[in-house]
Amino acid sequence: SNAKDAKSASGEDDNRDIVQQKTQEEILFHEETIDLGGDEFESEGNETVSEDSNNFVDKLNEQMMESVIISDSANNSEDDTGELGCLQEIVDQMEAKDNQKTQTEVDKEEFLSNESETEHEETPKDISEIGTDDQASLKEDSIQEAVKEEPKVGNNVPVETKNKNNVDESTPEDQMLSPSTTKPSSEAEPIPVCTIFSQANNASSQPQLFLPDGFEPQMVKSPSFSSIIETPVKYNPQVVQPSPSLSKFFGDTVNTNTLASDFFDSFTTSNFISVSNPNASSSVPEQMSSSLSNGGDGSSSNPTFPVQNGRPEAGGSPSSLEISQSPKPFSQIQAVFAGSDDPFATALNMSELDRRNDAWIPSEETRNVLISVATQQYSTVFIDKENLTMPGLKFDNIQGDAVKDLMLRFLGEQAAVKRQVLNANSVEQSFVGLKQLISSKNWRAAVDLCGRLLTAHGQGYKKSGLPASHTTDSLQLWFVRLALLVKLDLFQNAEMEFEPFGNLDQPDLYYEYYPNVYPGRKGSMVPFSMRILHAELPQYLGNPQESLDRLHSMKIICTKILENLEQGLAEDGSMTNITQENRQASVQLWRSRLGRVMYSMANCLLMMKDYVLAVDAYHSVIKYYPQQEPQLLSGIGRIFLQIGDIKTAEKYFQDVEKVTHKLDGLQSQIMVLMNRAFLHLGQNNFAEAHRFFTEILRIDSSNAVANNNAAVCLLYLGKLKDSLRQLEGMVQQDPQHYLHESVLFNLTTMYELESSRSMQKKQALLEAVAVKEGDSFNTQCLKLG
Amino acid sequence: VMRLTKPTLFTNIPVTCEERDLPGNLFNQLMKDDPSTVKGAETLMLGEMLTLPQNFGNIFLGETFSSYISVHNDSNQVVKDILVKADLQTSSQRLNLSASSAAVAELKPDCCIDDVIHHEVKEIGTHILVCAVSYTTQTGEKMYFRKFFKFQVLKPLDVKTKFYNAETDEVFLEAQIQNITTSPMFMEKVSLEPSMMYNVAELNTVDSAGESESTFGARTYLQPMDTRQYLYCLKPKQEFAEKAGVIKGVTVIGKLDIVWKTNLGERGRLQTSQLQRMAPGYGDVRLSLETIPDTVNLEEPFDITCKITNCSERTMDLVLEMCNTNSIHWCGVSGRQLGKLHPSSSLHLALTLLSSVQGLQSVSGLRLTDTFLKRTYEYDDIAQVCVVSSEIKQS
Repeated sequence: SNAKDAKSASGEDDNRDIVQQKTQEEILFHEETIDLGGDEFESEGNETVSEDSNNFVDKLNEQMMESVIISDSANNSEDDTGELGCLQEIVDQMEAKDNQKTQTEVDKEEFLSNESETEHEETPKDISEIGTDDQASLKEDSIQEAVKEEPKVGNNVPVETKNKNNVDESTPEDQMLSPSTTKPSSEAEPIPVCTIFSQANNASSQPQLFLPDGFEPQMVKSPSFSSIIETPVKYNPQVVQPSPSLSKFFGDTVNTNTLASDFFDSFTTSNFISVSNPNASSSVPEQMSSSLSNGGDGSSSNPTFPVQNGRPEAGGSPSSLEISQSPKPFSQIQAVFAGSDDPFATALNMSELDRRNDAWIPSEETRNVLISVATQQYSTVFIDKENLTMPGLKFDNIQGDAVKDLMLRFLGEQAAVKRQVLNANSVEQSFVGLKQLISSKNWRAAVDLCGRLLTAHGQGYKKSGLPASHTTDSLQLWFVRLALLVKLDLFQNAEMEFEPFGNLDQPDLYYEYYPNVYPGRKGSMVPFSMRILHAELPQYLGNPQESLDRLHSMKIICTKILENLEQGLAEDGSMTNITQENRQASVQLWRSRLGRVMYSMANCLLMMKDYVLAVDAYHSVIKYYPQQEPQLLSGIGRIFLQIGDIKTAEKYFQDVEKVTHKLDGLQSQIMVLMNRAFLHLGQNNFAEAHRFFTEILRIDSSNAVANNNAAVCLLYLGKLKDSLRQLEGMVQQDPQHYLHESVLFNLTTMYELESSRSMQKKQALLEAVAVKEGDSFNTQCLKLG
Repeated sequence: VMRLTKPTLFTNIPVTCEERDLPGNLFNQLMKDDPSTVKGAETLMLGEMLTLPQNFGNIFLGETFSSYISVHNDSNQVVKDILVKADLQTSSQRLNLSASSAAVAELKPDCCIDDVIHHEVKEIGTHILVCAVSYTTQTGEKMYFRKFFKFQVLKPLDVKTKFYNAETDEVFLEAQIQNITTSPMFMEKVSLEPSMMYNVAELNTVDSAGESESTFGARTYLQPMDTRQYLYCLKPKQEFAEKAGVIKGVTVIGKLDIVWKTNLGERGRLQTSQLQRMAPGYGDVRLSLETIPDTVNLEEPFDITCKITNCSERTMDLVLEMCNTNSIHWCGVSGRQLGKLHPSSSLHLALTLLSSVQGLQSVSGLRLTDTFLKRTYEYDDIAQVCVVSSEIKQS
C-alpha cells in the first residue's frame, strides 16, 4: 500500500511527512489500546480508498478536504491510516483478533461512504449526459427536418410542400389548442384551413357586431382597429368557400360578445396572414415587405384573394395559437370592465392597457427601422438579417422524471410504476394544459409543451436562424419556456434559446413592425418579465457583470418612460392624450417595474458578493415597494450577518422592530422574533436562537422556516435525535409544503450523520417525494447518489 | 462525525411574471408557496431557511473547529460501557477534545451518544481528528474501534508591515492585511498592542462632525484577496524618548491583534508575532528640525530651529558651517563654534535663511565638523519650504 500512499499524498508532502512521523510516534505510543480489524481487511480498505480519494482530490481543490461529513466512514480513516503508514506495521504486529462486529460495521460504513462520494461525482456527469443526449437527438431530428425543409429555404414558390409539413406538425395541436372552437372539426378536415377560416369568420363576425359594414374610419383611433385591414377582411367571407366548421364559428361568435372580442386580436392577425402576406410563416422579411407593397393597399387587394384561397394553410399554425391564447388576457380585461358590454369601450380600454404594458423605448437604430416600416409601408423595406429575431427550439425535450429514475434504481420497478405525474401528453395541448403543468410543478413537461406549441407556431426545433413571424403569443410562450428553464436551473439551455432574441430590441419584436397585423398598436411584444429574465440570466452562468449591464439599460428605459409620463407625454415619448386616471395607472405600473429592476440588481449584486452596493440597492428597492420595508430591512440585516458584521445587523434588526412597531399582526411579530433568533445565531448562542424559533412556532405552528431552523439549532446543540424528530414531524405534518429541497437536504444530512444505515431513511423520503412532487423536483437534495 | 460550520441561508432564484403574461400569477403564486422565500418579499433572493453545511469547507488558523460526534448503535443489541474519546492530532501535539471522559453505562439499539466538540485551531497544516470508541457487547466481549478524520488548516490572512521613521521620534507602522480565504471577512478588530516602550495611536478613523469615521468607509469587510492598510503611529514613552540612545538598533514595537468574523458570526482571532524594527542609524551626530515654516516669502528671511544630538559615545566639539546653494542663502556667520556636546545630549540652534528662488526649495548646506576627530558631517536636504513671491502671499 506504499504506492498508494504516495498517490494519495499528492500535495504538501513535507507537511504530511512530519505529521506521519509524529502520528507514528503517537500511535505507537497508544499502541496498546488499538484494536483494528484484521490486516487483510485493512489493505483492502486501502485499495478502494486511494482510488476514491484520488478522484476526490481531482474534484476538490486542495483546501477542501473531504465532503460534507468529514466522512462518516471507515474509508477516510483507512485512508489516513494508509498515509500514516505506520499503522500498517502496528496492524501487522497486532494479533489479528477479528471482531466480527467491528468489521461488519466498518464494512457498512465503507459502503456508505463510497456511495456518498460517487454521488458527488455523478452529478456533473449526469448533466453532461443529458447534454450529449440532447445533442444526439438534435442531430437526428435536424436531418429529418432538413430534408423536409429544404424546398422552403430561400424561395417561396413551393409553399405548399412546406405548408403540408406545417399541417402535419400542427394537426394534433391545433385541435387541442382551441378547445372551445375547433373541437368539432375532425381530423379528416384540413385543419389549418379550418382555423384560417375561423379567423375569417371572426373577421366577418366583426361587422356583424358592429353592424354597419364599412364603418372603419371611426375606429382608426383605437390601435387594434384599422380601416386598411378591415376592408379586405369584410370581403373574406364572400370569397371564401364556407367550410363545415364555418357556420359553427359563425354561430359562436355571433352568439356571444365575449367571443367576438376574444378573437379580436387574432382576427386582425389572420388578416395579415391571409391577405397581406400569404406566406406569413415563411415570411422572409424582404418578401413580407414586398408583399406588403402589393397587398397593403387595402381596397385594391382583391387580386390577393385567390392567393389566399389557394394557400390558406400558410398562417395556420400561428393563428390557431392565437385563438386559443387570446381568451386569457381578454377575459381578464372583461372581468375588470365587467359592467360594459360595449365592445368599443372594451377595445379602447384594451388599447390603453396595451399601450401601458407594451411600451418600450427602442434603440435609435431600431427606431429608424420602425419608422421606415411605418412610413414606407408600400415600398420594400430591407432589413439586415442580423436585425431579425429568428428563434427556435435548441433542444428537443428535457422531459424526464428524475424522481422516477431514482425510484427505479432504489425501490424497484414496481414502486416506480406507481409514480404518476402529468406530462406533456396527458394534458390539453393548450395554455390551460400548460398552466396545469406549471401549477402541479411538472415544469419539465411544461417546457416540453411550450416547445410543442412553439413548434406549431413555426418556431420549433431547428427553426432557429430561419425567418419567423412573431406574435404576442409566440413571445409569451417563449417567455414561459425560458422562465421554466431558469426555474429548473437549466441556465445553459435557457441561454441558448435566448440567444436569437439578441438584446430583445430587434425591430421585428415591436408591434410597429407589423402595421397590418397590429394596426396602430405600438410598443414591444416582449413581455417585461421576459426582459427581466433575460437580464438576470447571465448572473446564473457566472457573468453577473453582463446582468448588471442589462439591468442598467432596463433601468434607464424605465426611468425615461416615467419621465415621459411626468412630462405629459405617452410612455414612449409621443404626444398622446392620456387621461389622468390612465396616466396614474401607468406611472404606478412603471414605478413598480422600475422597482423590479432594482430588485434584480440588488439580487445580482448580492450574488456578486458586492455587499455594500447590494445593501444600497435594497435600500432603493424600499422606495419602490414601501410595503416590503420590514422584510427588506431584515434581509439587509441577514446580509450583514452573513458577512459577520453582527453589530450592523443588529442595527438593521432594530430598525425592523421600529417599523413593525406601528403595524401589529402576526407576520411582523414573526419577523421580529426571527431576526432576534438570527442575531443569537450570529453570536453563537444556539440555545437562545432555538428559543426564539420555538416561540415563532408557538404563534404559527406551521411556519416551515422556524421549524427547520429550530431543528438546525438543535443539531448544533448536540441533540441530533430531537432535531431529526422535529424535521420528520414537520415533513409528515404537511408534506405538501414541507417537502422542500432545503428541508430534505438537512434531513438527509442528519440521516447520514446519525447512522450508516441512512439509505433506508432516504429511500423513505424518496417515496414521500414521489407522491407529492412533480417532475421539477431537484433530487440532489436527497443525496441518494 | 460532521463538522459544524455555521449553517448557511438558502437562496432561491426568483422568477416573476406580470398579471397580463401568459402564466398569469402562477409564477408568483409558486414563489409564495415555496417555504424558502421571504413572505411578503418573495423576490428577495436571500431567504431565511438555514441549511446545514454541505461540505467540510475550509478551516483557518484562529478559527474554532467544531464537530459533532455521534455514536449510533446500528445493531439490535444493547452494548455497555461505551467510552468515546476524541483526540486532535496536530504536527506538534495531541489534544483531547472530549467533553467528558466518563463511560456511558449502556446504549440501546438505534440510540446514540452525541457530543459536540470545539477547538480553537492554533496550528497550520494537517490535523487529524481521532475518534476512538470502546464498548462491551452483551456477551461481555470488549470491543474497540477508531476512526481518523483528516483536515488541513490554512492561513487566513497575509500580513505585511512597513515602518516609517519620522523626524521626531515617532514611528509609523503601516500594516497590510490581506484576506487570503475564499469568503468575505468582517474585520471586527485590528489593533496594535505596543511594546512597553511605546504609546500607540490608531490612524484608521477620520473625525468628521464629531463622529469618528473609519477610513475604510462603509465597507466593513474584506473580500477574498482584498487588502487593507492599517496605519498606526507609535510614540516612544517619555522616559524612553529622553534617552536618545536607548531606541537604537532592533527594537520590539508590538504585535497586531486581529479578530474577524465570517459567515453568521463564525469568529477567528490571530495575533502576529512581535513586530520588530530596525531603528534608523543616525550616525554620530543627528540633526533634526524642530520648527520650520511651510511657506515663506521670496527673498525674505525666515527662521528655523534645529536640534543637534550627539549619538556617539564620546564628547564632540562642533563647528557649524553654512554653505549657500543656488536658492538658499544662510544669514549669519558661518564657522561658528557650537561648543562641546556630551554623548546623548543635544542642543537647539536657531538659524535664519532666505530663498532667492520661488517654488519648493530644499534646505541644504549645513556642515558640522567635529574638531576632535576632524570629521565633517554634511546635512543636505534637511527639509523643504515653499517659497512664494510676497505679492501673492499678501493678496
